[in-house]
Amino acid sequence: MVATAKTYATQVSQPVQSTGAQKVQETPAVKQQNKESAKQSLLAADRFVKEGNFEQAKIEVEKAQKLDSSNPYIQAFLDRIAYFETLQKKNAPPPVAASEPPKAATPAAPAKPPVTAPPTPHPQPAPPRPVVQPPPGPAAPTPPAAATPPKPAAPQQKFTPPPPPPHPGAAPAAPDTSVNSRLEEMRAQIELLTKALHQEKLAREEIKDRQLQSAVSQFRAALEKAWVNGAPREEDSQQLHQLALSLALPEEVEVSVQREVKIDMYSRAVKEVVAKRKLLKSSSSTLEWLRKVYQISVAEYLENESKFLLDLVADQYKGTLLLISEDATGRDPLSSKLKMSGYATIIAATPEVALEKIEKINPNVILCEAKFKQSVLSGVKFLHVLRANSKLNATPFILFCDPSEIQDLQSSELRPNEGYVKKPVDFDELSAVMNEKLVRFREYISKLI
Amino acid sequence: MSKVILLVEDDEDNRDLVSFVMQRSRLDVDLVIAENGQEAVDKALASPPHLILMDMQMPVMDGWHAVPILKADDRTKHIPIIAFTAQAKPEDKARSREMGCVEHYTKPMDPEELLALIQKYLNQ
Repeated sequence: MVATAKTYATQVSQPVQSTGAQKVQETPAVKQQNKESAKQSLLAADRFVKEGNFEQAKIEVEKAQKLDSSNPYIQAFLDRIAYFETLQKKNAPPPVAASEPPKAATPAAPAKPPVTAPPTPHPQPAPPRPVVQPPPGPAAPTPPAAATPPKPAAPQQKFTPPPPPPHPGAAPAAPDTSVNSRLEEMRAQIELLTKALHQEKLAREEIKDRQLQSAVSQFRAALEKAWVNGAPREEDSQQLHQLALSLALPEEVEVSVQREVKIDMYSRAVKEVVAKRKLLKSSSSTLEWLRKVYQISVAEYLENESKFLLDLVADQYKGTLLLISEDATGRDPLSSKLKMSGYATIIAATPEVALEKIEKINPNVILCEAKFKQSVLSGVKFLHVLRANSKLNATPFILFCDPSEIQDLQSSELRPNEGYVKKPVDFDELSAVMNEKLVRFREYISKLI
Repeated sequence: MSKVILLVEDDEDNRDLVSFVMQRSRLDVDLVIAENGQEAVDKALASPPHLILMDMQMPVMDGWHAVPILKADDRTKHIPIIAFTAQAKPEDKARSREMGCVEHYTKPMDPEELLALIQKYLNQ
């Protein structure tokens, strides 16, 4: 265990101070105590000299001088301190690691009988010999500053042995660090550049996407204008193609957008037609004509069938029709034809049965025979019953009558929603009359609204 | 040069439908609209069209009155008139023919049929 000089000095200085306080009395006991304290101070000074702490050593010597000025070693200590100070200044001007050289000078302290200095591993150095390399070993005195590990490559160390020659295969330590840090730096730069490039790529892609979207919407607007009334003329198609080229649209995009617009325009036209289906002779033939106008192929139609399905379903239904006739031979074929035309057709054999059903089905058109064998009500009487019903007195009503009865009917005052068709019923004539009455009925309803 | 068709029709939906069909017909025609017989006579006399599509039942002046006026005037008597009506009885057809209508086309309409008829008389 190595006791530091500082610790030692602290231990010995305490009694000295107390002794100093009592020096005034100068009793023999005190004198003896002062001499003892002075000796302790000199021992401490010796330690400090060995450590190279000459200032502290001087303080301890001065203390000893105050306590016991008669001590013969005081002057010797002062000379000794002066000598080592001069030597230190000459040989080892205070370097960065200032603690090392003075410590190394410690063994140069002269051996004095009263100073019980701890044994040093080195022989007493000759004065001209400067400082030796501090030897390793447990006995070597350790300065307080020695707690800090010495720097490995401190060039200021005068007596530091030169570093061993580098191993042929191994890179020197210092260059390794430099290369590694440079590599790290380059790696970081590469990473930054890669990130920047990636961001630029994303930005370019985004710009490209936006440009493409803008081009597509411009092309789509031009297409919609050209396709609104069906397939454009050849020269218009050429202009559209030129526009696609000038917008730098890829061919597949051009074809795809054109196809979408075509289907959209056809779909819009179908909706318009379906809204006016009651004015059309045949919805299916009209839709067929429209497919020609918009150049919709069978494949395209089937591919987009779901898109038109609702329109087609709506197109099938024209309204609900009540057919009142007891003559099954004439009634049933007519009923089939009406159903095929898109009417939901309900049959009643007599006006009485019709009255039972009529409130439930709320028909759009009523077709009725003029005469019934199995009913007390004739067609005209049934018409009068309906006229009395405020919910039904505007519903289109068509009577089937024999040519002989026409005169009677013409003389009676028929309302705008009422009409007749002579028997045997011609389907085209019936359709025309029904449509005329439906148009009148729509006009009547629209006036009410 | 575009040919001019005068459509005489009081029902807005029918006018829209004929207009819809004509727009998609690829025919190079201009459609002029009149909502009744009186308006039709005024427009036809002012600027004779190439063809007239005439509804026969209309307010103010119906087709039965307008057609004889047009057929009596030198400026319009040569213009083919197609009766365009829901009145489908044979006597109605016969009556329109007697008045000078080239055709009696019965509503409801079929686009292809109507276009074929129009083309036929525009090309004459």
